[in-house]
Amino acid sequence: MNELVVIGAGSIVLIGAVMAITVRDRYQKLIYLSLIVAGVMPFLAEKGYLDVLTVISLIVPISTFFILLACRRNV
Amino acid sequence: MNPELILGLILILLGSVGAAFPKPDDYVTRLINLQVPGWGLLLVMLSFDETLALLSFCGVLAFSTFIFIRVIQKRGETG
Repeated sequence: MNELVVIGAGSIVLIGAVMAITVRDRYQKLIYLSLIVAGVMPFLAEKGYLDVLTVISLIVPISTFFILLACRRNV
Repeated sequence: MNPELILGLILILLGSVGAAFPKPDDYVTRLINLQVPGWGLLLVMLSFDETLALLSFCGVLAFSTFIFIRVIQKRGETG
């Protein structure tokens, strides 16, 4: 695997994971969660799992929408 | 040891600690932190080349998130 892709996408995933856990605001947590997804996608595309990549690209916005419904009210 | 496996294990460790001890201690924060080890598990599955596991895990992750959100909202309404 190309080292530049590994370093770039891996640092995106690590930054997203650390910030999604440490940040206290829920909306900022959601933004960093989508940063994790954006970092995982090059790994999938580089190994040739384009069908899995299609399913993730369709399902992740729906999942984000469901969490966003819960973020709006104080539970 | 390919990079996906190492990255996935790091994500599982970080996300498990974050889901066990969330900073604002409520249900939604715990649920958002629970997404992080889910993606780490997906990276581990990717390193072992399991296509069917990847596909089914993506679907179940979104569906279980929907069910958890409904349960949290019902519990918040009833107190």
